[in-house]
Amino acid sequence: MIEVQGLHKRFKTRTGDVVAVDDVAFTAENGRITGLLGPNGAGKTTTLRMLYTLMQPDAGSIRIDGLDVAREATAVRRQLAVLPDARGVYKRLTARENIRYFGQLHGLDDATIAARIDELADALEMQDFLDRRTEGFSQGQRTKTAIARALIHDPKNVILDEPTNGLDVMTTRGLRRFLQGLRVAGHCVLFSSHIMQEVAALCDHIVVIAKGRVVAQGSAGELRAQSGEDNLEDAFVKIIGSEEGLLA
Amino acid sequence: MKNFLTVMLKELRESFRDRRMMLMALVFSPLLTPLLMMGIITLGVSKEKEKLDKELVLAIEGQQHAPNLVAWLRSQGVKVKAAPPDLEAAIRDQDEDAILAIHPGYSKAWRANKPAEVEIVHDSSRMYAGTVVRRVENLLENYGRVAGTLRLVVRGIHPNVTAPLRVAHRDVATPESKQGMALMFLPYILLLGAFLGGAYIAIDATAGERERQSLEPLLATPVSREAIMSGKMGAASVFALLSVLLTMLSFKLSFGFMPSDTGLSFDLSWLNIAKLFVITAPIAVLGTAIFTVVSANSKTVKEAQSWFGVLILLPMIPTIILMVSPVKDQLWMFLVPLLAQNQMLVRVLRGQDISAMEWSIGLAGTALACALLWFFASRLYRREQLAISA
Repeated sequence: MIEVQGLHKRFKTRTGDVVAVDDVAFTAENGRITGLLGPNGAGKTTTLRMLYTLMQPDAGSIRIDGLDVAREATAVRRQLAVLPDARGVYKRLTARENIRYFGQLHGLDDATIAARIDELADALEMQDFLDRRTEGFSQGQRTKTAIARALIHDPKNVILDEPTNGLDVMTTRGLRRFLQGLRVAGHCVLFSSHIMQEVAALCDHIVVIAKGRVVAQGSAGELRAQSGEDNLEDAFVKIIGSEEGLLA
Repeated sequence: MKNFLTVMLKELRESFRDRRMMLMALVFSPLLTPLLMMGIITLGVSKEKEKLDKELVLAIEGQQHAPNLVAWLRSQGVKVKAAPPDLEAAIRDQDEDAILAIHPGYSKAWRANKPAEVEIVHDSSRMYAGTVVRRVENLLENYGRVAGTLRLVVRGIHPNVTAPLRVAHRDVATPESKQGMALMFLPYILLLGAFLGGAYIAIDATAGERERQSLEPLLATPVSREAIMSGKMGAASVFALLSVLLTMLSFKLSFGFMPSDTGLSFDLSWLNIAKLFVITAPIAVLGTAIFTVVSANSKTVKEAQSWFGVLILLPMIPTIILMVSPVKDQLWMFLVPLLAQNQMLVRVLRGQDISAMEWSIGLAGTALACALLWFFASRLYRREQLAISA
């Protein structure tokens, strides 16, 4: 379970301070898929980076499974699977070696790692490229490798930054099935996206972010009711108040 | 500790799969440096010998003024030939290394027991002509001494009268210590190899990971940043040491094939190889630490590599300073990284001992520098910007 309260983050740039995240609060429950929906540049990636301890919030608190992120960063990281915006798989290693490396860093023994890799490779349908070097992998193969790598230690909370970015329809559908499997298994899944269909198809709870602020949250039905629009896309545009960034 | 090993092994595995880098670090540089050095030394020595042994062909102007001198030179094996009309042009155009010009007043002065004038025309800025000039000087000096002695004897004076002093040299240099040029270069080559041997991995493992954006997921694991950084530094150091070890082995093997008349005889016993290795090992760590600091400050490999030009000078500094102003070994030198190693390498190669005090100061000074750099790098690794590459 991920609880976020009053999160703030500003960056210093040459032209002055930019407020990236401004008073963001939401809760992502176990056994549920929570979607962070917002146009490009809304502050989704920055919010997620604060969740997985890579950035320090200027204000606010984050609790993951009851642990305070600021004070118990290492313990928090053990409870997290993280798929960053940049997948960053090692090109000169095979997919299996990439995954095994992270298993070792999480302190797992060889037998556990081997068993987990089999499990994840089946679930993500990556058997036929598991032992190839990742150089020249397709976007889908890279994403799958990065997801398997992130989940090797079977953590309770799963954070994914734009997981379906650049994937074809078939791979996206496979990934959706995989995330639904995680929900059924009782995981807390939090992912960000700028695609409404994606979020509508998967999420139990949607947090809409625009310009660093949470502008609405609830289920897809609740958001439609709130905005008085039947179509989720119209509801989304109405909520964030502009079409900027939606077409990307 | 376990995480340190995991990271180190992964970095090594990844590097060993980069074939181009492997060839450069572990094949080309260890093989080429000894070959290059041997080649230069052999070439230099053989060139010098060639000049010494070769028949001396000397152009002499004004031969008619000193027929006795010319005849004597011929008897000494000099092949005498007529001088070209313009002496200076012939030297400038490098047609002749040196020309002997006999003054028209030579025979008159000779008969009057006054110093007779001869002139060696040469260009002192041309190194290759030096041997010829020295040979001509030696011949003329001999001729002069013989003639002078004869003149004294004719006058009934013992030649010793004009030689109040007899200066002799007693040279205590060991055969190993005579090899000035080689002694300058060998430590430098070893230090440079150790210093730069791990640079590529160090840059690739930090700046490269930032550029490829794989540092973000890595730093989101529970492993401490210090362990990750140390693992990367460890891998780069291992690589640098491997490169140094191979360079030393190839020196050891190639010196066996060195022509013996070059006069080079380093003491490259296995014990000394081990000593050289222990001396250079800290420099491998020092080099990777410096390049890790640089990389943690650079967003891309290219940015980190732009430091190469400056950092490559660092191991040269002690060599250059000692070349320009040679100073006696002093204890404080062993405290300065690179300078200490330079002195210690020279000692071992000269076949001299290093005291326990010098060993410990030398190792401690460099260890301290490495520790400081490690600390500095770990501070850089903790910065928020490190993982956020885009």
